[in-house]
Amino acid sequence: MAGAGGGGCPAGGNDLQWCFSQVKGAVDEDVAEADVISTVEFSHSGDLLATGDKGGRVVIFQREQENKSRPHSRGEYNVYSTFQSHEPEFDYLKSLEIEEKINKIRWLPRQSAARFLLSTNDKTIKLWKISERDKRAEGCNLQDEDGRLRDPSSVTALRVPILKPMDLMVEANPRRIFANAHTYHINSISVNSDHETYLSADDLRINLWHLEITDRSFNIVDIKPANMEELTEVITAAEFHPHQCNVLVYSSSKGTIRLCDMRSSALCDRHSKFFEEPEDPSSRSFFSEIISSVSDVKFSHSGRYMMTRDYLSVKVWDLNMESRPVETHQVHEYLRSKLCSLYENDCIFDKFECCWNGCDSAIMTGSYNNFFRMFDRTTWRDVTLEASRENSKPRASLKPRRVCAGGKRKKDEVSVDSLDFSKKILHTAWHPAENIIAVAATNNLYIFQDKAN
Amino acid sequence: MECALDAQSLISISLRKIHSSRTQRGGIKLHKNLLVSYVLRNARQLYLSERYAELYRRQQQQQQQQPPHHQHQHLAYAAPGMPASAADFGPLQLGGGGDAEAREPVARHQLHQLHQLHQLHLQQQLHQHQHPAPRGCAAAAAGAPAGGAGALSELPGCAALQPPHGAPHRGQPLEPLQPGPAPLPPPAPTALCPRDPRASAACSAPSAPPGAAPQAATAASPPASPAPASSPGFYRGAYPAPSDFGVHCSSQTTVLDLDTHVVTTVENGYLHQDCCASAHCPCCGQGAPGPGLASAAGCKRKYYPGQEEEDDDDEDAGDLGAEPPGGVPFAPCKRARFEDFCPDSSPDASNISNLISIFGSGFSGLVSRQPDSSEQPPPLNGQLCAKQALASLGAWTRAIVAF
Repeated sequence: MAGAGGGGCPAGGNDLQWCFSQVKGAVDEDVAEADVISTVEFSHSGDLLATGDKGGRVVIFQREQENKSRPHSRGEYNVYSTFQSHEPEFDYLKSLEIEEKINKIRWLPRQSAARFLLSTNDKTIKLWKISERDKRAEGCNLQDEDGRLRDPSSVTALRVPILKPMDLMVEANPRRIFANAHTYHINSISVNSDHETYLSADDLRINLWHLEITDRSFNIVDIKPANMEELTEVITAAEFHPHQCNVLVYSSSKGTIRLCDMRSSALCDRHSKFFEEPEDPSSRSFFSEIISSVSDVKFSHSGRYMMTRDYLSVKVWDLNMESRPVETHQVHEYLRSKLCSLYENDCIFDKFECCWNGCDSAIMTGSYNNFFRMFDRTTWRDVTLEASRENSKPRASLKPRRVCAGGKRKKDEVSVDSLDFSKKILHTAWHPAENIIAVAATNNLYIFQDKAN
Repeated sequence: MECALDAQSLISISLRKIHSSRTQRGGIKLHKNLLVSYVLRNARQLYLSERYAELYRRQQQQQQQQPPHHQHQHLAYAAPGMPASAADFGPLQLGGGGDAEAREPVARHQLHQLHQLHQLHLQQQLHQHQHPAPRGCAAAAAGAPAGGAGALSELPGCAALQPPHGAPHRGQPLEPLQPGPAPLPPPAPTALCPRDPRASAACSAPSAPPGAAPQAATAASPPASPAPASSPGFYRGAYPAPSDFGVHCSSQTTVLDLDTHVVTTVENGYLHQDCCASAHCPCCGQGAPGPGLASAAGCKRKYYPGQEEEDDDDEDAGDLGAEPPGGVPFAPCKRARFEDFCPDSSPDASNISNLISIFGSGFSGLVSRQPDSSEQPPPLNGQLCAKQALASLGAWTRAIVAF
């Protein structure tokens, strides 16, 4: 069965064949820590693709217009803008270094020619304006061509400046800096559907901001106990509902999700809905708490469902049913017997993300060995694919991979013990409308497309 | 790839993670440390329940041999019938004294200090008495063995390294160990062993002010990679059986005041403070209220200069090392350096129980998950007291959230 799993809206239920499209990033074996990609996000139209890395940089790719004369390019993504979003900081009061790693990027809906995105590290959120400049003014009266100011008294005649084309220049300017609102590490930001506010969540608190106001934010969720010794859970992810601007959800390290309605009270400590699946007592282990911790929560585009990712599975929840998820997909169940080793090498703390396709018919998440998994919700088929340089021939089809959990390993199967746990795919993104996916494999960004058409 | 699901190795690994998280770039990650504390709790539960069952079995054996008053202690500590799951802290904790009663919060930290030093006391006992030392939760103790009677105690981290039975100088064979696989030494304490006690954040986190930890931690050598758990399955009874709790009541007690850096050996004391906190402590026979040591004869330890740590006390240090709020007079001594510390022996896995006690509760919210033990009437053993004491000791968690 080839290419099963995943479908953008156009393809519907047809089986898809995923093909390699592009890969960005260095080929070196030696990966610089700063180059490790830490977040990937498509813009709302899908024509821009932003990545953030551990070095605090943001790289934005833009999809080329489809060119009839070059039918093969099929809308490739090329670098559009690169800028340093965050720098390492030092908190002198606490003697702590604040990492510059970009934890999340979220695009704002487009409202003008310029593009806006929010990027955040552990402590500070920044609103960046990315604008194009392809004209420059010539013949200014008060300054020379090279920008030096002229003495006004030397100007004897006035002229109207002329706009002349220039090479496209993409500028990124920080328009707002939202700082000093979080004591703990920010793990999520989410733009509200009202396009005016957004939330930022750290381990214990969620704050609501107005995009225009940087000196004030409102705390809407606070789960910090009076006595920190009584702490039992932290917030791991939060998101606004895609359509209802008063609804947000946040997940916890205990594997629960709370839905809050901001209309009910100013402080949303009391949830409106509480989603929790009862634990299976037979599967209890030392690491039960760790593997049940939710690492990502995402609303479906429709707003009717939400998806959570814990260490071994993804679960789809119907917002109308709190008692259990409507779907549970095993990502890499074969790791359940390896939890002890994964604990030792810290892999059990990896925070995998998940994403929906444009029409919510498929979901995708990452795994180890540069594998990533897709689950088709309509056909209930799943597939494991690999992002590797070996499969990097242009338009080469991706072959489904299989992991052999034990026993006799068949040909083409990868045994669990030979998985490379240093190659983990934590961040993936799906184009909002088409079958194009971006997969971050350490310091490389892979772009795959379907072979339809 | 497989690793033995050994409770002790898990505990040591967890402690090492907590310790190393303090030096990680970006500050302490609350989420990760919370998850590690869950693993610690789970491993501790399992370990203690096993240990408890083991001790109970030994108790039964020993009861026939012990003099009656000691037997009383044994019975008190044995608390037979304790469900394994509730055996969070049993006789493993404060071996001596009936410090089972509930502690005032004030005294808890002091109890903890004493817990940490209990091992030192144990060593002395081994040296002086023919009894196996009660196992204490004092991760710190271990002061004596290396240097003999005059040895000085270091903070828990170092003490924890000292295998009560392994030190050659002891000359006192401990109770025969259970035949079993070799103990797995917790690597973190080992690595920290010769260091500044403050550096042994992993072991002594509850006591060491969090502020000191990062600096000290950087000074500490990187933890040795954990010896792979050679023991298949669970590690059983590799400890000297601290079954003779009664001994504790009539022997020396050595206490390190982590705040004033003073070590006191009390001739006739129990690890008293909480033991006597409530009026009915059978072993000490006194209703001495409040924390503090039973101050029979206190002898001061040698003081080794250069041991003075920067006292990076943040707000937590005050809790930890405060003067005993009245009660039995407490003779402070200078803190001493534990020289010749941590000889050949790598930290004995047996000392993990000490470490467990320190990190055992972690966030008390975890402890609250075991309601059964808290509901029981406080038996005359270290169980409840230790449980409560340790339940409230979240100093190392404070370290996590200190930023």
